[in-house]
Amino acid sequence: MEVGIEAINLYGGPAFLDVRTLFEARKLDLERFDNLMMEKKSVGLPCEDPVTNGVNAAKPIIDRLTEAEKNRIELVIASTESGLDFGKALSTYIHDYLGLSRKCRIFEVKQACYAGTAALHMAICFVASQVSPGAKALVVATDTARAAAKNTYAEPTQAVGAVAMLVSGKPQVLEIDLGATGYHSYEVMDTCRPLPDIETGDADLSLLSYLDCFENSYKEYEARVEGANFMETFDYLAFHTPFAGMVKGAHRKLLRGFSRLSPDQIEADFQKRVSPSLKYCVRIGNVYSATVYVALCGLIDHAELNGSKRVGLFSYGSGCSSEFYSGLISGRSKEVLAGMKISEQLDRRYALNIDEYDRVLDQNMEWIFGVKDKEVDVSKYARIYNHSMAGRKLLVLKRVKDYHREYDWS
Amino acid sequence: MTQLDVFQTVKRVTLEVLPFLPPEEVSIEKSLKDLGANSIDRMEVVTRSMESLGIKVPLVEFGKVKNLEGLVDVLQRFAN
Repeated sequence: MEVGIEAINLYGGPAFLDVRTLFEARKLDLERFDNLMMEKKSVGLPCEDPVTNGVNAAKPIIDRLTEAEKNRIELVIASTESGLDFGKALSTYIHDYLGLSRKCRIFEVKQACYAGTAALHMAICFVASQVSPGAKALVVATDTARAAAKNTYAEPTQAVGAVAMLVSGKPQVLEIDLGATGYHSYEVMDTCRPLPDIETGDADLSLLSYLDCFENSYKEYEARVEGANFMETFDYLAFHTPFAGMVKGAHRKLLRGFSRLSPDQIEADFQKRVSPSLKYCVRIGNVYSATVYVALCGLIDHAELNGSKRVGLFSYGSGCSSEFYSGLISGRSKEVLAGMKISEQLDRRYALNIDEYDRVLDQNMEWIFGVKDKEVDVSKYARIYNHSMAGRKLLVLKRVKDYHREYDWS
Repeated sequence: MTQLDVFQTVKRVTLEVLPFLPPEEVSIEKSLKDLGANSIDRMEVVTRSMESLGIKVPLVEFGKVKNLEGLVDVLQRFAN
């Protein structure tokens, strides 16, 4: 049967900081700026959290459904490494504020940046299994950077946002090649979030592990899919993108192994098959479990899609688990995604200067994991709030009361 | 393969990845970071050295490497 993504949308935050500005302000080595290949990073406000970001990504999808279609959403999975409670899943709030049916399974999954793919494949298997014929599933990959990561080379890439995907038997955005997938996972301590205010790790080890996983998950894909060839099977590629420079380096390394292309030919292949997927990534930054789907949105909005094209997707999450799989996108994918106006939404974000950015980071620090009772005060960042959120019917956090989070529409 | 053989390959690859580096700077006690290699450059040196030596090493083996000597040791272990 046909199965895959029926609709997809991306929420890229209310504000951004220019990455070069951050490099200059933090006195980071500008030679490394070119290596990152990043332009902007999305920044969230204290009235936002992974729930609001997730709802703000999903709402435009849900609003386009009929009541009957909406009631067929029987599974809501949130993926995150920015959870708000050890027991209560983000999806409980997301499900509530989207007004979905109570005849529904709701839970949250975690496996660093791989979790969005884990959730998507669980949803695909649920739909494909036909245990509830005609049912749909909503996957919400939502993450926020830790506010405390100042003055590191990770800071310029750490961002906020969410991607929501409606999964069904009407895969007009991405039709999954069901079963055409390769996994590769093992224990490694590369990056982690051991405390509410810390994300840390070994960048070199993480890069090496990413490459190891790419090669091995792709080899497993090839072993399962007769006739698969890295150079010929995929018209386009979308990778997990912590920063665009890393994807470029990974592509170069892999092609030296998979092909006999010259450096110039490798560069041409990168421009043709990979670069469309980076268009939104370079404007947003790393959104952890959502990042590979930020890449997919960028690809669909920027690639030439005349007829059906096969895309190879690689997802990696530190710790680690990874998967290489494929699916089909087409002109129809482009039409459906165009309705979400992602590029325009990103253009609308407030441009922070470095002082405003530092103030927002300090304010976000007051809202790290474990807040029991606290009122949101948007007057502290009214200019940003009024520019990007006020009156736009976006979900915002109002207060936390005895650990219960209360939200409303802006 | 001796430590010197492996080091000479690593040195040649390092100079390919960092072409502006004076060759005499590349001594075995230095780290790639000391030599000005960023994370992508470091990954290139590791993977191209393996390719050049014709050996396969699980990449995470290089995670604890501190300098060129450590890199040479891991490569040599898998080369012999």
